[in-house]
Amino acid sequence: MSDNTITTSEAPPADESAVSTGALAAVRRWAVVRIRKSFRELGLFAALAALWVYFGLKSEYFFTTDNIFNILLQASNVAIIAAGLTVVIIAAEIDLSIGALQALAGSVAAVVIIRYEVPVAIGIPIALGCVVLAGAISGFLTWKVKIVSFISTLAMLGIAQGAALLLTNGHSVYGFPESYRKIGTSNVYGVPTPAIIALVVFVALHLLLTRTTFGLKIYATGGNAEAAAFAGIKVGRVKLIALMISGLTAGIGGLIVSSRLDAGNGLFGAGDLLGAVAAVVIGGTSLFGGVGSVVGTAIGVVIITTINNGLVLLAVQDFWQQIVIGCIIIVAMMLDQLVKSARLPGFLR
Amino acid sequence: MSAVSAAAARQMRTAPVLEVRNVAKAYGAVQALQDVSLELYAGEVLGLVGDNGAGKTTLVKCVAGILRPDAGEIHVNGELQQDLTAEAARRLGIEVVHQNLSLIDTLDVTQNFFLNREIVHRGSVARRMGWMNKRLMYRQARETLDSLGLTLDPQRLAAFLSGGQRQMVAVARAITWGRHIVIMDEPAAALGVRQALQVLAFIRLLSSRGVAVIFISHNMQHVLQVTDRIVVLRHGENVGDLVTAKASAQEIVTLITGSNLSVNGGDASD
Repeated sequence: MSDNTITTSEAPPADESAVSTGALAAVRRWAVVRIRKSFRELGLFAALAALWVYFGLKSEYFFTTDNIFNILLQASNVAIIAAGLTVVIIAAEIDLSIGALQALAGSVAAVVIIRYEVPVAIGIPIALGCVVLAGAISGFLTWKVKIVSFISTLAMLGIAQGAALLLTNGHSVYGFPESYRKIGTSNVYGVPTPAIIALVVFVALHLLLTRTTFGLKIYATGGNAEAAAFAGIKVGRVKLIALMISGLTAGIGGLIVSSRLDAGNGLFGAGDLLGAVAAVVIGGTSLFGGVGSVVGTAIGVVIITTINNGLVLLAVQDFWQQIVIGCIIIVAMMLDQLVKSARLPGFLR
Repeated sequence: MSAVSAAAARQMRTAPVLEVRNVAKAYGAVQALQDVSLELYAGEVLGLVGDNGAGKTTLVKCVAGILRPDAGEIHVNGELQQDLTAEAARRLGIEVVHQNLSLIDTLDVTQNFFLNREIVHRGSVARRMGWMNKRLMYRQARETLDSLGLTLDPQRLAAFLSGGQRQMVAVARAITWGRHIVIMDEPAAALGVRQALQVLAFIRLLSSRGVAVIFISHNMQHVLQVTDRIVVLRHGENVGDLVTAKASAQEIVTLITGSNLSVNGGDASD
């Protein structure tokens, strides 16, 4: 469109970052953009570093390899379901069923593999398929029946929880084969396998959100569903797929829990919802949709697990952990408000 | 705008790019459009005027595939469009600058500029996965904005743009992608004098490229300045189809309000 240039007498007032030229300015511009975009993540890293220094000084055991792998192992489960939840929340929906879906996936796996002696390689896809289907049902209700996801996934929480308890008759179904137990208990060069699975899930979802057109559709849908629809994005379908993704991650989480505990139980993993929501929120993903990242969520999970772990090492009574995490959510939200109310130097906004 | 070029276009291509036939649309008990017909030819600028609630925006949404008319037909490039969706309308080269609702605040200028039309990497796998070529997207967005004389940081979030800048991004998007029909719903309402003139210049540019434009505005001066033809809606009906060169502001205002008010009287000019 070279000859179509319209020469207006003056361009609108240029903003500082758009006009600078030269190599140095380019580097500066790049740095400003990076910092501006990752400001929230940088703050989280700082908070995490502060926690590590504090616990490291307080407890000799904190920085041992054993303990670090222990933190990773503890974190991986909630991390995986929180990653899927992040995708849903960016699309301006919520999935309250993820804890129950974990329990359901573990129970289905246990019943199918242990009771019906189905091979592990077939039992796993069956278990995952069930929870992805559950996510799809929630998504379908949200899309076509216009039941908000807060309600449709709340209903799914009850259904999945009840189904899991029914399948297992309210007991634990024990005795997975060796190959299944390995998912949660083995390690690769000392790194627990669940932590590696979590890493793979995070990298995959991070690339999906930041590199693919579908990821952009998720942000667009959460940012302004009406404008997205005007642009031809099928927002209902986007939300459906987001809920299927969180179903899948909940399923993976459920397999890991049941493998580590060597049993399927209608209650295993059912209580992880709050931890996951906390991690997502601490990680800077907005509950209003359109804003957030799985990187933030990963840091949020590590922060929560670090605090839990550190408090245990310092022999603080268990019950304090939940109070501390509740307080941290409040502080994180207050910091968010501060960032939004724009008390930052201009170049960061 | 020259009525000559439109007349020439009409001769060159006898079939209209857009033909709306007897379209009706109701929201519950409210009849927003009834039996509206109009034609639009390549390179023509059509002014769509009417009072608030006359059905202008509803008509636009029907043509853009956002609303489905209860009755009537919409033909684009001579073909009847059944079940026109927003996506299908885009593929047909129809672009709309929506009133107030053009940009997504949480996305940046470039993401808004492309929105659902992202550039993906070559190769069948990359295309299947929708793997975006971000570098190319940001470069193209910057080049396009520059070529239109808009100095904007392509990485700036829409939330941090001024009202005028937002509108200009929406307009830039429409004129970049609108191959056949560009519809602008009050594009100059949020703009200062200079930017409003810039929008009018863009409309002329589109017309000179052979793109048909529907221009909705309450500003009679702008309408008379830039359009070839004017369609007046009142209470959801097409009450007038006039050639701009032969129309007077007085005449148009009379059609809009349905009564003979003086243009200079306080009531008619808003």
